Formats: sequence, C-alpha cells, structure tokens
Amino acid sequence: MPIGWPVPPPNEAGTAPSRGGAGAAWWRIDPLAPAGYALLLLIWQGLSLVVPAFSLPSPLSVLARLREDFFAAPDLAFYGLDNASLFNSMIYTGENVLVAVVVGGTLGALAGLVTGRSAVLRALLDPVMMTAGTVPILVAAPFLLIWFGVGRASSVLLVTFYVAVILYLAAQRASDNLEPIYEDAARTLGARDWAVLRDVVLPGTVPEILGGLRIALAGAWGLEAIAELLGAQRGIGKVIEVLAGATEVRGILACLLLLGFVAVGFDALAGAAFARLSVWNQRARIGGAA
Amino acid sequence: MNMVATPAMIALEGAGRVFHRADGGRVVAVQEVSLAVAEGEFVCVVGPSGCGKSTLLQMIAGLLAPTAGLLSVGGAPVAGPGPDRGVVFQKDSVFPWMRAIDNVAYGLRCRGVGRAERRAVAARYLDAVGLGHVAEAWPRELSGGMLKRVAVATVFANGARVLLLDEPFGALDYVTKRQLHEVLLALWAEGGTGARRTVMFVTHDVDEALTLADRIVVMNAGRVVEDIAVRAPRPRDTDALLRPEMVAHKHLLLRHLGLERLARPGTAP
Ligand SMILES: Nc1ncnc2c1ncn2[C@@H]1O[C@H](COP(=O)(O)OP(=O)(O)OP(=O)(O)O)[C@@H](O)[C@H]1O
Ligand SMILES: [Mg+2]
Repeated sequence: MPIGWPVPPPNEAGTAPSRGGAGAAWWRIDPLAPAGYALLLLIWQGLSLVVPAFSLPSPLSVLARLREDFFAAPDLAFYGLDNASLFNSMIYTGENVLVAVVVGGTLGALAGLVTGRSAVLRALLDPVMMTAGTVPILVAAPFLLIWFGVGRASSVLLVTFYVAVILYLAAQRASDNLEPIYEDAARTLGARDWAVLRDVVLPGTVPEILGGLRIALAGAWGLEAIAELLGAQRGIGKVIEVLAGATEVRGILACLLLLGFVAVGFDALAGAAFARLSVWNQRARIGGAA
Repeated sequence: MNMVATPAMIALEGAGRVFHRADGGRVVAVQEVSLAVAEGEFVCVVGPSGCGKSTLLQMIAGLLAPTAGLLSVGGAPVAGPGPDRGVVFQKDSVFPWMRAIDNVAYGLRCRGVGRAERRAVAARYLDAVGLGHVAEAWPRELSGGMLKRVAVATVFANGARVLLLDEPFGALDYVTKRQLHEVLLALWAEGGTGARRTVMFVTHDVDEALTLADRIVVMNAGRVVEDIAVRAPRPRDTDALLRPEMVAHKHLLLRHLGLERLARPGTAP
C-alpha cells in the first residue's frame, strides 16, 4: 500500500495483549473470601461455647469427626450402612451429581438453543419447561421413588431434570440475546449452517450457558443430598438421614461440612474453567474469578 | 430483464421493501428502485437518514427479501447471502469471541484456506487498515473506529467481486478516513482497470462520495431521485474537488440533502 500509517501512540501499542494478559485474573482469590469463612467459624465457635455440645458441637470437634469417619466409619455399619465411609458416600453422591449435570446440562442447553431458533418448537416446549421451572422440583421425588426405586436412578433423574430446566432457560435467553447481525455477517463471509452453529451460535451463547451451568451445579449438590435423604441406600444424604435418626448432630455437621467443601471446590474449578473458556468476554472474566 | 450489451453486475427492477413495525405501522423503506450497476463501477449512495439506503444494500446482500420487484447480482437472482458479495455493516458486526486477526481470516476459513495461509493474508489486510499492531487483540479492547477497520479488513481479505459498504468510514477521523479511501481504491482497482470490483458505497459525506465515485445515486424517501455520473480522473486530490463540474455536483447533492434550496436548479453560484 502506498500509505505510511502513523506510528501508533504508545498507549495504543501497549494494548496489544498477550495470551496471559486477558486471563491473568482467573486464579486470583478475593482476600475477603477467607475473612468471611473466618467470621463464620468464629460465630460457630462462640455459639458452641454457650449451646450444649450435643446440639451444637464446636468446629474443631466436627472436623475431628470428619477425619475419624473419612475412610472408615464402623458406627455407620451399626446403623445398617455397611462399608460406608464419608469418603465413599461422597464419591457416590458426586458421581450422581456429575452424571446429572452432564446429561441434564447437555439436553437442556441443546433444547434451549434449538427452541431459541425455532418458534414452533418453542411454542411446544416452553409451557412444559416453564411449568417445570415453577413447581418445586422436589414434589417429583416421591413419584420417582415409586417408579424407579431407591437406587441411583431416582436421584439422578431428579437432579438431571433440575439441571435441564435451568440450562434450557439459560440457553434460550442466550440465544435471544445473540445479535442477529453476527449470523448475517458470517453468512456474507461464506459460512453455511454448520459453520454458523460452530462459529457464531455456540461461542456467542457460551458465557450465558456456562453461567447457568454454574448455578445449576451449585444447586445440584443440595438437591442430590435431599433426594438421597428421602430415599436411597447410599450417599452422603443417606448418611445424614441415618445419623438424624440417631440425633448424631456432630456426625451430621461433619457430613454437611464435607458436602460444603466439595461444592465450593467444584464451583471454584468450574468458575476458573468457564473464565478461561469465555476469556473474550469482559463480564465473564470479572465474574468468573470465583 | 436487463438486456444491455454489458450485462449489469447488480440489477434492480422496481425493487421495494415494506416493513411492518411492532406497533402495527407500515413503513415503505424502499420503493420502485430500478438500477443497473455495471461490473467495475464504483457507485456511492447518498441520501438523508432513514431514506432506505441500508435497506437497499441489505436486499442486494440477500439479507432482506424484497417485498416487490426483482434483484439480481452477476446475472443470477438474489436468493440469500453469499461470499460473492462482501458486506460492511453500518452496525458493529465484528465477532467479539475472535481475536482481530481471526475475524479478518474468517471468510478464508469458511473457504477451507489453511490456518497459516489465511492468517498471513489477514495480517496483510490488517496492516493495510493500520491495525497490524493489534492483530491479537480481542474486539472489546478496540475502539469503535478500530472495530470498523477490522470489519473493512475482513471484507477486503475475503476478496468478493461485489462490495456492499454501508457507511464503512462514517465513524472514523478525517486522517484515517482519507488513508482508507486510498486503501479501498487500491483494492477496487487491484488487477488493473479490466478487473475492477463492483462497489456500492453508502455515505453521508458528500466530499467522500465525490472523491470515490464513478456515479452517485441520491435517494429520498425510498426512491432514487438523482443519478450523477462523476467523470473526473483519479486520484482526486483536494484540487480535483474544486473543478467547476465537481462544485456543481456538490451543489446538486447539497440541495438534495436539504442544505441548499432546490428553488432554481442550475443557477448555483
Ligand atoms: N426492521 C425494520 N422494521 C421496521 N422498520 C424498519 C426496519 N428497518 C428499517 N426500517 C425503516 O425503514 C426506513 C429506512 O431505513 P434504513 O435503515 O434503510 O435507512 P438509511 O437510509 O440507511 O438511514 P441511515 O442513513 O440513518 O442509516 C426507516 O424509516 C426505518 O425506520
Ligand atoms: Mg443506514
């Protein structure tokens, strides 16, 4: 070209970002987060000094119980749970949650994207999903238990359904929010249907879908535990149910603590992974640091 | 249909488009437009805001179906968008999820050009629009004018024979705009006079139209109301715009835009 472009001013040249530049914040922990936990522990400790230990044991004694029962819990066998340690109960619960999140998330997100683009399918599916989204999902638990028994299937189905509804709504909203000009631009550049899906619809909706997935994941742990509590033979919820029958507050708190740790850990992992995946999106980057 | 010796690259016969607004109102955005643009011709479209320029371009691009008339490009009826017609949109259309260089390379990617090759081409066009130094930036890190230049580079890199440009340089500062005029004219004439691309260029800037166009089409309220042939040789510098026939064109355009009174056409000072 016959033109000499002016040398960009230094601040403009400085914006040429490196790969790390945009994503550098994803692992950073907010210094206030540990402070929040510390405050909670302090209140708990304080209360446990006034309340009798059988209704509120101190944090340290709960941690000790968590450690004792982690790999082997003979007293659970006493209540009829053979070979149940907190560790393998948590694994059972975790497997169910992950299967439900993957299956429900995929189905829900695909359905949301498809109905986001097809008015007919949307008119068919929306009322069903909206109703499902309004009714508290737990009312389905008794029916699932009658139909599928107390095995994995009941609780996994319940959580799958919960995740699917959230992801359906998130994906549909993401699809609605996607500016049609991007698809127009892609088509004038030669993109066919498949390329539009891969290069426009998916990347353009991914931050909102991942945000929905994270919300669903956070809720899924509690829902799975409650489903197990209502009827299951294994899992952390089952352990809580058994301990509740024996008014074992220390044991119950140990289970809840473990469930909380796992849920928070997975949320942090998910937040970091999602921030990486939508590094182009400012909002996702700020909100994703978990 | 158009049966002239040199068939028109873009041919419109009584083309029109009616919109139905959400509040029930009916908007006639384009009506009764018949236009034949020869291959290699550089046409500027000017007219007041809301007169239907973007609608006209979108119909030629295949993104809006006409509600009346016939449209054809390269002899074939327009049936949808395609890579034979490059479009720079009036609104921002740069994919926020691709880096600048991947945006520019996207059309080549759709055609199956290998990664290294398409990135090399993209880098060349980013350089041409003065954005070589931000090739790896995300769109959210670029200014409005820079985004517009990414969109222009994207369309240039894709090499379409027909370019539909909707106020491509409207958001740019004067200096950048002048430089991009040269880039655009170089691209337009690439491969010699016989191989010129066909350009439809929407602008509000009368001087820009006079600098670039072979022909200026004036629209008003959805219709074509004037069709001016600009024969001044290129490149047209500041002095070229002061030649008497250019000044006369300018007065005519200003009158159509309502800036000078239409009262006695031809008696401009
Ligand atoms: N999707 C739409 N629905 C309803 N009306 C529309 C739509 N798109 C455009 N219009 C109307 O059509 C008319 C022409 O719009 P158009 O965008 O083509 O104008 P324009 O000449 O490009 O204006 P500008 O110079 O401001 O970009 C306007 O009155 C506008 O309100
Ligand atoms: Mg317009």
